[in-house]
Amino acid sequence: MIRIFDITSKDLLQLLRDRMTFLFLLIMPIAFTFLFGFAGGAFSKGGVDPRLLVGFLDEDNSRFSQSLHDNLAKSEVIRLEEGNTRADLESRVAGEKLAGAIMIPAGYGRAVLNGKPIRLTLIADVSTPAGMSVESEALTAAIRLDSAVRTAVIMEQVAGDKAPFDYTYQKALSAWQDPPVRVTETTSSAIQTQDKSVQALSHTSPGMMLQFAIAGLSTAAQIIVTERKSRSLQRLLTTATARIQILLGHYLAILLLIFCQFLLLITFGQIVLHVNYLQAPEATLLVAFSSALCISALGLLIGMLAKTEEQAVIFSLIPMFVFAGIGGAWVPLEVTGETFQAIGHASPVAWAMDGFKNITLRGLGLRGVLLPTAALVGYAVLVFVLATWRFYTAEEK
Amino acid sequence: MNAIEVQNLHKSFAEIKAVQGVSFNVSQGEIFSLLGPNGAGKTTTISMLSCLLKPDEGDALVMGHSIRKDPNGVKSVLGVVPQDIALYEDLTARENLTFWGKMYGLRGLPLKKRVNEVLEVIGLSDRANGRVGKFSGGMKRRVNIGVALLHKPKVIYMDEPTVGIDPQSRRNILDNVVELKNQGMTVLYTTHYMEEAQELSDHIAIMDHGEMIACGTHEELVQIVGEVDRITLTISMLTGDTDTGKILMAWRAIDGVREVSTDEGAITLLADDSHRVLPPVFEVASANKVRIIGADIQEPNLESVFLHLTGRALRD
Repeated sequence: MIRIFDITSKDLLQLLRDRMTFLFLLIMPIAFTFLFGFAGGAFSKGGVDPRLLVGFLDEDNSRFSQSLHDNLAKSEVIRLEEGNTRADLESRVAGEKLAGAIMIPAGYGRAVLNGKPIRLTLIADVSTPAGMSVESEALTAAIRLDSAVRTAVIMEQVAGDKAPFDYTYQKALSAWQDPPVRVTETTSSAIQTQDKSVQALSHTSPGMMLQFAIAGLSTAAQIIVTERKSRSLQRLLTTATARIQILLGHYLAILLLIFCQFLLLITFGQIVLHVNYLQAPEATLLVAFSSALCISALGLLIGMLAKTEEQAVIFSLIPMFVFAGIGGAWVPLEVTGETFQAIGHASPVAWAMDGFKNITLRGLGLRGVLLPTAALVGYAVLVFVLATWRFYTAEEK
Repeated sequence: MNAIEVQNLHKSFAEIKAVQGVSFNVSQGEIFSLLGPNGAGKTTTISMLSCLLKPDEGDALVMGHSIRKDPNGVKSVLGVVPQDIALYEDLTARENLTFWGKMYGLRGLPLKKRVNEVLEVIGLSDRANGRVGKFSGGMKRRVNIGVALLHKPKVIYMDEPTVGIDPQSRRNILDNVVELKNQGMTVLYTTHYMEEAQELSDHIAIMDHGEMIACGTHEELVQIVGEVDRITLTISMLTGDTDTGKILMAWRAIDGVREVSTDEGAITLLADDSHRVLPPVFEVASANKVRIIGADIQEPNLESVFLHLTGRALRD
């Protein structure tokens, strides 16, 4: 057993003396995380308000038009921008600088108070989703205001001084903030609390970490190849060291290296990039460890298959591109079609990405990473068995 | 008990019979050489005796442990110096020795002490912390040997340990081999250099095409070619009417010359003592107007034994 650790520590000593190890495992993933994150909209100044920009013009200037303005300002769908004139609003809507515009005509307040019908003016293309959203918000706000006024008027008529208009009106308006029936979201609040910058990095950070973990296997695989070429492996086999001890020694070295890489990059992601890995630390640890198990097994297999150091490099780069590409390390699988998503999940990277993003983007915990973890461990076992078979059946001499 | 008893080993790779029916014994404390050209089967034999390859037929006992039934027992008494530099080039000499010592079961302070001892033996104490990759070929070979000595094995295999190194390093290695014998180790030494086998060995086995074609002490092997010197002459006729048959008979008549033959223009004389017969050989040539433009003298040695047995030179 102790021979396994001896081989592991020897391998780690060799790996840490190779500058390429640091290049692939730390520097490149950090650099590419920034690159791809920047391309995905991270680091944008001031953040972006995703709400629809809607022009607003109040020609009434009454307390009721002000109330309508205040209600619309609280919308989670539209964001108001004051307009100067109708013509100005029309031209900006036509020029697609605004999703729409709402104009309150003069006399609106008096008409609402007296229960007379009056129309708001909406400038929008209601055949588009944006136009429909603006219309919906405007109607909702107008209806709520009208019902609050009606309620206050009726109450005053019925109860007199016991239900003064102003009191009842404010109470009715605020009641809309907490309606008896409401639709609530069942998904996590992780996305809602993150700005777009962090969302982009929540994808690229694990993506680049996984991609360059695979690329970095070349240095570990080269150690195994060189050991075989220099006949040091054959020399090992003339000692009392069993083949399985040699195999496990190499595997453990790669596993420790990859896992430490993950821990460093996760820490970097958490502290510098504000990717919320640690909102479920045990889940993050589980995904990181199972990913490391899988990628390490791949490194072992590459070391067993490659006959030269150059082949070790090629055999590392090919799976890096293939697994990272189809596995969603570059482009999120969520934006691809169903068929591609299914194909993508043939790659262990896809499962690892699912695991990490379930934590960082979807706010899930341990239960949300159990399936990805199981898939990754399954891959690890399969690849390890292949590597073992290759090691035992390879030419003895 | 013999240190090594090899019993009818056979090994084939596809259609190539690498080792065919090899048998020999090595006494404890002796140096035994396997001599033969490249491809003779020496390394394959060593690989089987190291338990790296399973023989197709036959068995061998190393200090009483069977290579088939008790490979771990064999490995416990064995040190191997492979032909290749089987070291980790990005580790230092000390790190290499320490790692290999652990693989041989040494730990802690005894390991540290033994590493220092071996560094002293191989003469690299002052380069212990240098990376092996930056060493010269000779230095690497010394570390390569040092690794095999760490656990003080009873038997050590050395597979062509002097290939590709400078004469001084070669001399050091050969001296080390003799020292190992003096310390009581049994050495199985493979080489294609006749002079090494002659200098070092108590017994020599000559191999060719996977078979053992002769085995014995140096004196016993040389007896195979009858202890005669071989003189090969290259001549030119000074006049066109020289009678070649006459001169051959004249040489045959010289006291001490046993046989005269011709082959593709070269004339070969077998003589008891080349130094004694050469002057009359030259006198006869001169008297018959024949100029000797080249004379190659080969005293009985393993090269001539190999030539005699196979018809080929040991080194092509």
